[in-house]
Amino acid sequence: MIRRILPPLAPALIALLIFVAFPMLWVLRTSFNELAGGAYVVDALTLDNYTRFLGDPWYLVNTLWFSIRIAIVTTVISVVCAYPVALYIAKTTGFQRNILIALIMAPLLIGLVTLVYGWIVIFRGGGLLNSLMIALRIYDDPVRYMWDIKGVVILLVYIGTPYVVLSLLDSIERISPFLVEAARNVGASRWTAFWKIVFPMTMPGLYAGLVIVFSLNFSAFAVPLMVGDSNTQMIGLIVYREALLNNDLPFASALSVIMVAVNALILAGMAALFGRLILNRLEAKR
Amino acid sequence: MIRLDLGTAALRLITLLMMAFLVFPIAVTLVVAVNPREFILPPNGFTLDWFKAAWSSQTFLRGMGVSLVLGISAAFLANALALPAAMALVRNNFAGKAAINIVLMSPLLIPTTIFSLALYIYFVRIGYGSGLVPLLVGHTIHIMPYALRILTASLHNLDPSYEEAAAIVGAGRIRTLFSVTLPVIRTGLVSSFALCFILSWNDFPISVFLAPPGWTPLPVELFSYIKFQYDAVAAALASSLILLSALAIVIIDRLAGLRRVVRS
Repeated sequence: MIRRILPPLAPALIALLIFVAFPMLWVLRTSFNELAGGAYVVDALTLDNYTRFLGDPWYLVNTLWFSIRIAIVTTVISVVCAYPVALYIAKTTGFQRNILIALIMAPLLIGLVTLVYGWIVIFRGGGLLNSLMIALRIYDDPVRYMWDIKGVVILLVYIGTPYVVLSLLDSIERISPFLVEAARNVGASRWTAFWKIVFPMTMPGLYAGLVIVFSLNFSAFAVPLMVGDSNTQMIGLIVYREALLNNDLPFASALSVIMVAVNALILAGMAALFGRLILNRLEAKR
Repeated sequence: MIRLDLGTAALRLITLLMMAFLVFPIAVTLVVAVNPREFILPPNGFTLDWFKAAWSSQTFLRGMGVSLVLGISAAFLANALALPAAMALVRNNFAGKAAINIVLMSPLLIPTTIFSLALYIYFVRIGYGSGLVPLLVGHTIHIMPYALRILTASLHNLDPSYEEAAAIVGAGRIRTLFSVTLPVIRTGLVSSFALCFILSWNDFPISVFLAPPGWTPLPVELFSYIKFQYDAVAAALASSLILLSALAIVIIDRLAGLRRVVRS
């Protein structure tokens, strides 16, 4: 058996070992190294890179806590936007459904830079939205949407929502329509049938969507790089800046380790919360 | 009954608004790219001048060339790695299959920021800091899970009796692979290739970390351009990227079904 399955799996597994596992371990190792002369990484065993970040209130508040807040806000908005859309797509069939799914997936397949360009045209100072609002006399001076926290939130919601729709759709489609029908037959209102049957059964999809979008947004660097300003220093952006612009690989590595650890902690908290939510609903039913 | 319709109508309205939100920036980019009056809307005509300008810029042409070569090579490598793995996973049941599947999908679970940084540091360490190898490796590894997903799905639909028949008439394993298996799953292969190519073609986060000087892929080139100016030439270039992506979306949808791209 092993002789039959190992050779075909080996190339992919070895590639992942060499180009994912080793590099990730090397990030962990590099986070304890020192930077000498502002450019050279020197092997060491120091916690300086960690204390430099964790001991600095500016970093903690303006990057770590800021990233957590942005990720939570954008994830919540994405979920609220995605839920009705997923419910509606689940009802459609044929051509309409194909078109809807293609449109939902377009932002995932079209590159971020391209999409950002479109949003800049709409949102910049003399852009479409500001011109329209001023022409309609809703406000008089252009509002700063891009190169601002607003732009970061809009873009993160824009690229996050499709993931939530698709993972919700997965679990909605698994619900047997007979269940809802059965509930309706024994006298449950449409609302009750949704709340007691459909909603609990979409929890796995909702959770999967939350996990993807939260992780993506918490570690985002491209969006704050493209449409953020000096007040949107998300932690992923600091990693990018320290690694590529300041060449401080040990510090960037330590930040990555912190990022992964905080992300894992928050996801574990979310898993516990979701487990309890589902349990509570079950108990309430008894 | 009236309440019921109200609920559906509300869902439809929200979906419509959401779709408008998703399509709006794409549509605006396409309109600006063919509008003779730069940025002045509504458009008063149709022009391909901006496209001509974009397609004759040496910088953009070079970026296009880099992205093209990179996308094709990465898509080829990713499929070459994923196909045997997909065949082993579909044909056999063994202990630890689920675990191996998770390992093979792991590049999707790691945030691209960290994945790119890790490869960057790693290649600097082993002395390959600036070269095309890191860029190609980064793209290949990142898109391999997508190839694995689509190929696994199309292999599931392959009737094993074709291959058994080939074996009975004396075809060797290599012969069976090339004359039976690959032709039968060609739609899966083509859509997997199209998906891998378009993901690599449009990628920004990995390229920005790993692209060596002088070998800048198109999205990174476009980013450095719109940092300083966002004129209609940029719109034409972005539209070129959008149209190619739309083509890939249609190919994938016709041949494999779009849902397989994200469904595990």
